[in-house]
Amino acid sequence: MSPVSRREFVFTGGALIAATCIPEWAEAFQPNASDDARRAEVADAALQQAAKLGASYADIRVNRYRRESISTREQQVQSVQRSTSYGFGIRVLVNGAWGFAASNVVEPGAARAAAAQAIDIARANAILATRKVTLADADKVVTTWTSSFKKDPFEVPLETKIAFLLKLNQTALVPRVSFVTSQLQFADEQKYFASSEGSRIVQRLIRTYPQFATTSTNRDSGDFQTRAVVDRAKLIGYEYAEDYPWFADAEEAGHAVVEKLTAKAVEPGRYDIVVDPSQLFLAIHESCGHSTELDRSLGYEANSAGTSFIKPTDAGKLRFGTDIVNLVGDRTQEGGLATTGYDDEGVKADRWHLVKDGMFVDWQTTRELAPLVGQNRSHGCLHCDSWSSVPFPRMPNVSLQPATKEVSLTDLFADVKRGLYVVGRGVSSIDQQRYNFQFGGAVIREIRDGKLGAMVKDAAYQSRTPDFWASCDAIGGPSTYRLWGTAADGKGEPGQTNQVSHGCPPARFRNITVINTAAVL
Amino acid sequence: MLNRDDAIKICETVLAHAKAAGAEDASVSLSDSVESHARLADNRVTTSGRADDIDITATVWVGKRRGATTVNDSSAAALQQLANDAVQIARLSPVQREYVPTLGPLQYGDDRGYAAATANLDLAARAKSLQAVLDSCRAQKVTGAGFHTTRVSATAAATANGNRRYFRSTRADFSVTARTPDGTGSGYFSGDHFDISRLDVPHIATQAINKAITSRQPQPIEPGNYPVILEPQAVADLIGTLTGAFDARSAEEGRSAFSARDGKTRLGEQMFNDRINLYSDPANPVLPAAPVTDEGIPAARLSLIKGGVIENFRYTRYWAEQKKRDATPGPVNYILDSTQPPTPIDEMIKGMQRGLLISRFWYVRLVDPRTLVLTGLTRDGLWWIENGQVKNPVRNLRFNQSVLGMLAPRNVEAIGTPQRLAPYVVPALRLGSFTFTSVSDAI
Repeated sequence: MSPVSRREFVFTGGALIAATCIPEWAEAFQPNASDDARRAEVADAALQQAAKLGASYADIRVNRYRRESISTREQQVQSVQRSTSYGFGIRVLVNGAWGFAASNVVEPGAARAAAAQAIDIARANAILATRKVTLADADKVVTTWTSSFKKDPFEVPLETKIAFLLKLNQTALVPRVSFVTSQLQFADEQKYFASSEGSRIVQRLIRTYPQFATTSTNRDSGDFQTRAVVDRAKLIGYEYAEDYPWFADAEEAGHAVVEKLTAKAVEPGRYDIVVDPSQLFLAIHESCGHSTELDRSLGYEANSAGTSFIKPTDAGKLRFGTDIVNLVGDRTQEGGLATTGYDDEGVKADRWHLVKDGMFVDWQTTRELAPLVGQNRSHGCLHCDSWSSVPFPRMPNVSLQPATKEVSLTDLFADVKRGLYVVGRGVSSIDQQRYNFQFGGAVIREIRDGKLGAMVKDAAYQSRTPDFWASCDAIGGPSTYRLWGTAADGKGEPGQTNQVSHGCPPARFRNITVINTAAVL
Repeated sequence: MLNRDDAIKICETVLAHAKAAGAEDASVSLSDSVESHARLADNRVTTSGRADDIDITATVWVGKRRGATTVNDSSAAALQQLANDAVQIARLSPVQREYVPTLGPLQYGDDRGYAAATANLDLAARAKSLQAVLDSCRAQKVTGAGFHTTRVSATAAATANGNRRYFRSTRADFSVTARTPDGTGSGYFSGDHFDISRLDVPHIATQAINKAITSRQPQPIEPGNYPVILEPQAVADLIGTLTGAFDARSAEEGRSAFSARDGKTRLGEQMFNDRINLYSDPANPVLPAAPVTDEGIPAARLSLIKGGVIENFRYTRYWAEQKKRDATPGPVNYILDSTQPPTPIDEMIKGMQRGLLISRFWYVRLVDPRTLVLTGLTRDGLWWIENGQVKNPVRNLRFNQSVLGMLAPRNVEAIGTPQRLAPYVVPALRLGSFTFTSVSDAI
């Protein structure tokens, strides 16, 4: 490929551009005063119409999203895809019942019509309501907030991004690696929130998501193995692609998948396991992140994602794990995918303990949920994945706090006689109340007498959330803390996709059941 | 909702802009939709709403360099911008080695999956039917949660090589989860149809409530291998992994469950019970599908498994060209049925000495793509069967089980009447062995 800079592109394509006035994609999307004024006008029209028709409360999100996705395999580009989506969604409260309507036509007339539709829907629901919705107090906020980034990925030339991916692939293609796939995804959310209580909030969030996978095949035996490196998305700009040592990861992933193809199968049984942050983040997500969602505990998700083993009255009473386990909900964490300035009903981002010294102490809440457990302020967990989606409770970044003193990975291995070290995301599955789970790993190695040993394959660990965290007897120190996250956490009906991060050090868990997944055919 | 002429006109407008901007080939697709939903929980409606949207995607090639953009704005300025942006991306991209020219004019069958009653949702009628569901839950002393949704959409596409197509579709879905107040019983049931007048809301609610009541106070059993009866929902929860494995390229590149030794595939092999057929058919009366594949090929019946033998893989247009054969006209839906007359579930139970009756599975994930081993859990109704009778509810279990092993020649004992659970039409199955690896406390 011969790289073409933007300047060269403009030069070489000059005649065509002159004929068709091609605007730069990145520049065409930049916010401008005219759009801002139009957005405010539309929001005001909708809120005024909702009030006129009897809403006791209304809010509206006028959001614009743009996304870019570049996919490659080996030394070729499979696709470059860009998309934009712009629209508004209005939510109204009438007689204690919600109504919602959304449209891609961002005009005052369409906004008034949608407000009327939302009112009609709320009135129809109010007849079926057995409990009226009341909202916790929230401050009136008029402000602007932008996530932290140095390089807007949409301003980085396409050829730079393609060159990054092809170099990544080339690095991962060490001998006996058969296939490499890689993607770069970027998201830019420009959100405007307005409420009948007077809040007006403008926010912009930029996310960068590199991922890749290596596969090694043995055509003679028909066997193959894959090693995926995913879930490192962050709320950050393109500097992430440049500053993080992706190529070292790619080379390691290449060697790892070749080794995995000939690794010995795990012997099932009980093991002490040391779980790396690259896998532990997912265990935190599934076992603590979802079980401390108050809407689940109250049965709001019973028909879909399920409920929770934690009851609404358990805060302050239920032991979640050993007393070294501290988990915080945090929408302020640097780089966290669920980090924001304000949630989607205008509540300022919060940081609070969910589990403190091993005890479950608090919930993830919204303005609707907080009063149901006797709280008068929301922790700010309302979120919608699009202007067209009904906002509902979503997970904040939930992170395991490191030990106060420095504890290294070697320290964690030190007194393990027969153990496994689990690195990277494998298959995950957990029940609908977040008790029983099974997690695999991308790369799993033996620990024998405190030393890291050979790679094993076909291993997965199974446990029960309270038993698992009760078996945690050591947690890494501050220097071992890493932030991982998932760009595709599903919940709700209609299904919505959330992005959420989990920071953690490695941690050790004693006497955990490990199965051989290839021995269950 | 855009009619055919207006939808095609939008696509053609973008094509013209793309050509003017220098595109040598182009494809424009459009989806115009309205979705309405009501969500139930705690025996009331928790959220309800509607969303109107349109997506227009332009994919263009300049010297085999590809660019693609999507917008949700059909204004004249937006359409111009869409085409120009796609061309701009194409010019900056390297040559797409897997470029295949866009389709020319083709004849498509009629779309059968559209009903005006679904498209023109009656909010008052929906509220009345949901009120009846909530009344039933209260009367039976269970807590009901559920989801009612309707969608109407028009999709259109046009290519620089003359292909034009337009289809409409509707869909209505309803599901209910009922839970007993003591927290020991839970039942789920769902249904869907393109015609909302044929969505049996009361039946769905009754089934979920009955499952909740009869699954109370489950007893634990030891994990291990058991004979099982999978209700159609449970089969639908597992079958997606099998259908996804029929990609020809993965099999032929040596990274699929259907790859074989020495660089070969398992095409033509008797891998499954000899009564099992798996196929796609857009004209299926139970689940009519769009008469077009996602690549624009006119859809037609496609047999994947016939009498337990793998008969075909799915070939994309690119991979078909590489292999000098035609792209496959599907799949557009998946129908699993038997070469023999079906066995009703009651008969399956009567014929079982000891085993488990399974309502559904949850959080099913592919553990091993080489063998299609899945893990997941039972949920919302699991019962112990002994001497031909349902004896008592049992606690949920985690399984680790290969789909290939599940449908293997000697493991399938009986096959029921296929039921619609879009995008599948699947029967209940009685299986000789199914592997459970741990017990779950979840209800």
